[in-house]
Amino acid sequence: MANHNGKTEKEKFYACSTKGKKFEVVNPLGEIVKVKGKKLDMQIVEDPDSFTYIIYKKKKYHIEILEKSQNKYTVMINGVWYNFSIETPISYKRMKTLSKVQVVSRIENIMAPMPGKILDIMVEENGEIKEGEPLFILEAMKMQNEIVSNVSGKVKKINIKNNDSVMKDDVMIEIEKA
Amino acid sequence: MEIKSILIANRGEIAVRVINTARKMGIESWVIKTSKEPNAFYLTQADHIIDFSDHTEEISEFLDIEAIIKAMKDNNISAVHPGYGFLAESPIFAERCDDEKIIYIGPSADAIYRMGNKTIAKELARKHKVPLLGGSKGNLSSPDEAVKIANEIGYPVILKAASGGGGRGMRIVEEEKNVAKMFKMASSEAEKAFNDPDVFVEKYVRNPRHIEFQIFGDKHGNIIHLGERECSVQRKHQKLIEESPSAVLDEKLRKKMGAAAINIAKSVDYFSAGTVEFLLDDKMEFSFMEMNTRIQVEHPVTEMITGLDLIEWQIRIARGEELPLKQKDVKINGWAIEYRINAEDVQGGFSPSLGVIEKISLPRSKNIRIDSGVVEGSSITSYFDSMVAKLIVHGENREKAILYSQNALKKFWIKGIKTTIPFCNAVLLNKNFRKGKYDTSFLTKEMTKHYHEGQDDEMLAAFFATYDFVKEIENVENKPVDFDKGKNIAPWVLKKRLKSL
Amino acid sequence: MDVKGRNFTKFLDREKVFEKQNNQEIVDKQHSRGKLTARERIHILFDEGTFEEIDAFVAPVGEDTGFGKMKRAYGDGVIIGHGRISNRLTFAYAQDFNVMGGSLGEIHATKISKIQDMSLKMGAPIIGLIDSGGARIQEGIASLAGYASIFYRNVQASGVIPQISVIMGPAAGGAVYSPSITDFVFMTNKTSYMFVTGPNVVKEVLNEDVTLEDLGGAGVHSRKTGIANLMYEDEENTLFGVKKLLSYLPSNNLDNPPFIEGPTDDIDNSRLKLRDIVPDDANKPYDVKDVINLICDKGSFFEISEQFAQNIVVGFARLEGKTIGILANQPKVLAGTLDINSSMKGARFVRFCDSFNIPILTLEDVPGFLPGVDQEHNGIIRHGAKLLYAYADATVPRITVILRKSYGGAYCVMNSKNLGGDFNFAWPTAEIAVMGPEGAVAILYKRELAESKDPMKLKKELALKYRNEIANPYVADEKGYIDEVIDPANTRKKLISAFEALENKHVNVPSRKHGNIPL
Repeated sequence: MANHNGKTEKEKFYACSTKGKKFEVVNPLGEIVKVKGKKLDMQIVEDPDSFTYIIYKKKKYHIEILEKSQNKYTVMINGVWYNFSIETPISYKRMKTLSKVQVVSRIENIMAPMPGKILDIMVEENGEIKEGEPLFILEAMKMQNEIVSNVSGKVKKINIKNNDSVMKDDVMIEIEKA
Repeated sequence: MEIKSILIANRGEIAVRVINTARKMGIESWVIKTSKEPNAFYLTQADHIIDFSDHTEEISEFLDIEAIIKAMKDNNISAVHPGYGFLAESPIFAERCDDEKIIYIGPSADAIYRMGNKTIAKELARKHKVPLLGGSKGNLSSPDEAVKIANEIGYPVILKAASGGGGRGMRIVEEEKNVAKMFKMASSEAEKAFNDPDVFVEKYVRNPRHIEFQIFGDKHGNIIHLGERECSVQRKHQKLIEESPSAVLDEKLRKKMGAAAINIAKSVDYFSAGTVEFLLDDKMEFSFMEMNTRIQVEHPVTEMITGLDLIEWQIRIARGEELPLKQKDVKINGWAIEYRINAEDVQGGFSPSLGVIEKISLPRSKNIRIDSGVVEGSSITSYFDSMVAKLIVHGENREKAILYSQNALKKFWIKGIKTTIPFCNAVLLNKNFRKGKYDTSFLTKEMTKHYHEGQDDEMLAAFFATYDFVKEIENVENKPVDFDKGKNIAPWVLKKRLKSL
Repeated sequence: MDVKGRNFTKFLDREKVFEKQNNQEIVDKQHSRGKLTARERIHILFDEGTFEEIDAFVAPVGEDTGFGKMKRAYGDGVIIGHGRISNRLTFAYAQDFNVMGGSLGEIHATKISKIQDMSLKMGAPIIGLIDSGGARIQEGIASLAGYASIFYRNVQASGVIPQISVIMGPAAGGAVYSPSITDFVFMTNKTSYMFVTGPNVVKEVLNEDVTLEDLGGAGVHSRKTGIANLMYEDEENTLFGVKKLLSYLPSNNLDNPPFIEGPTDDIDNSRLKLRDIVPDDANKPYDVKDVINLICDKGSFFEISEQFAQNIVVGFARLEGKTIGILANQPKVLAGTLDINSSMKGARFVRFCDSFNIPILTLEDVPGFLPGVDQEHNGIIRHGAKLLYAYADATVPRITVILRKSYGGAYCVMNSKNLGGDFNFAWPTAEIAVMGPEGAVAILYKRELAESKDPMKLKKELALKYRNEIANPYVADEKGYIDEVIDPANTRKKLISAFEALENKHVNVPSRKHGNIPL
């Protein structure tokens, strides 16, 4: 991890995909970059006002960061997107350690934040949902409020349907945390 | 009849498309500005703008017949082009235009009405000996009748809403015991969706091909066809890729289907552009499905292989001119494929991807045509459909067209939204698509993955994410924060600040 | 070390004991909990080689109370010292969970107090890295007294130097009050907890089963209570976040905030987007963070309390390298209404900015206060008043941009002109009125609507008329309640020059001990 005036320890990182793939990246800012132990011979052409692309094996790859939040990334390359979390050897070890310790899957109840009417439900039972993804639209005060999931996991139960009137703190959707 | 000015009662790429032809023909173009996209590209292309920003009705600006008619009269506009969607197949709108002596660039209100009603259209087809799927003659009166006819034509059968479209009010039934139940469901769904409970039944063709013929007629009784378009690459009845000609039609079948298409059109004395849609089964038996009484989204593929401007033809015919070509003069040259570049997240189940097009870079070549309604800075909103552009590629033959397409798609870059480009790439790499062996079940059966990812894509993406992460840390750490500057405070302030402590 | 003599022997012996106290076994043990050691944390936080430890060899008070076992160790479970972060003097203490569980005894408390005193004397920020089992029971009242002396210093330093608490392990019982007094609380997800009474006591007293995580985990505190201002997934990122936050803050209440040579990109393509962000349909939500990101220096927005009371967005950002504090109503969540939580969140943020000379930008799109029995009974009156008070009391430069709705009492609260706002701008999409069009016409034209054959249509027409004639920025502009109606794409430029004009702002406040904010 970077620290100490940015001098040292910027060598090794892991980009962990949500599908469980792990890419070891060595020296990402350096002259010689290695990915999964192999030298990556490429060139990055960055232009914040235009396109950013990578030239690799004489091919151009249009690349764009769609979302980032702390160490979580969604990157689109030639129109296809991937999710990664970037870990250092220390945080990677921590992630592994903690995942062994905490395997309890629990239910998160999504409750109505205010009384209103359900306009649309965007998820289905047994569907996968990511944190921050919309669950349903609640109309209240003549405004459409998109209610998003605060956890990632599987939709276990939906207790509402379109046009239902709901009260504050009614349980709308039950999500089994991933 | 003279056309001095045209209102294009539409938006997006089709508005731009019509404006271009109008300009070429020396006709003034008018468009409607809405509050939903006040900075849209098509507005910058037209000669004149009618401002509908204050429109408060429930229905869309582009569906408000009386408001549009009034605007045309107020501005003394001689003709209207409805584009596709919105009012493009409204017999009421066409009739109102006639009433007000405004030239409607399209077929007669009567033709629109009769082809729009599936039961009437089928009846016409039957009368004119156009092959039809077995089924009820007109609407079903009862569940019993449905069962009786279904038993006659054999299973599976499909129940369809007479006024339906887009998959709503449709039910596929595999066996007798479900017919009555499904009839009730389809009928109530149709009632809800289209305010018309009428339902009919016909033989269901499993995995047919969707082949359509572009036809053209004038007001003097001439009707020709401009060849077929293959539109079998569909998702939930939405066409995604279209090509012309079709890889499976031979000259004999083309002639036969073309003649059938012309027959249907003749039955309603059709003029202007129209499309006759057929289902083609695996035994190369075709049957009439419906006729679209408007210009289609996919009309450019026909233009690419015939070298014609169909919008220009529509305008000329509306003016009363005769068709410029006879059937025998229609020449088909090479192969054309159209890709709909939609703002959709293919990996997220084709969900709409809203946002702003931050940057766009298009392929350029003499065998490529791009019809687009957006520029950099355009917003993709939830008010309208998700189509961003159409890429049409021409080649001397199908193989060449596919090859050029792959190259063109590689150079089609959009920043800011997700698009269906990875889907197009995946289709082009599919073995059976390359062989031309595909039908409407292509997406669900043939494609296990709906997007193409290159061999090194994920690795490079992983690297780039790491690169950005480390760079940001580096930036924050190496960016000299000037804490001392915070201590340079004007004495005026510092004195007062100290005093007030 | 090549030194001789008796004095040096002792010196070297101590070093050895010290090393033993931090042996690999202990480090591994801490790592197996998913945590770093106190020393590793300090190492990551400070610029390389700048940290100077004080009182490393201090030992716990000698007298054994004879009650319970006590493992004695040098340092008494806390590291204190000073060093440089981004080359600025900063003080810190880090509790060491591997020494007596990081429990707080008399010496431990004295050390923390000592570093608190030093940071206040030097006018430099102080950071507490907290990982402690709580009061050291064996030392009895002495440890409680220790807590009290820490709290006292926290309060004395409040508003004078920035105080940051980083929870990296348990913080239980009295220990939670020091962080809650400090300006910002960071928590590391899954390995940090804060509660007054732990799960065991809850079980004993109420017979309720609750996990550590559900009672006082980072998730609970960042989403539900708002006590954790920032939550990160691992410790390195947490500490990096601390550094990032510090880069926006001055060292004390006399300094101005620091400065970063910023990009001076004026109008680029993306800023044009500002014209399209606010939907024409007044009931359609949008993400106000898009507005913030387009106005401020690229990538400079650092959000505080992101997950709590999301109907208001607060955070720091830079305009041409200069720190500003931003408060923005979030139309995406609860329509951007003000409720109890968002009022408290906003009020505390305004207070912080005002304490440390950070100018405040308010982006307003607020339909009003959230109605309801629940809100009223829980005191929205008092809590809403906090935000109002905080704004009116703030003497730093204050600018408001009204993006869309600005209705009723909420208009007054959100830094309105007459509440002392220095500049109030409005976008052409702004609607400023006592209430929204639909509500207003329902009252004003009650009889006409009742008598109408088509009340829906009439209501719509009247609402449109109201919108055109009353609920727009031009009426307010003509009456001087708005300084200027501006082109959204031009917002950044306007703000830069406005803040520049306000740079030397000073307000003479009446002399008083302190105001009486409705707490």
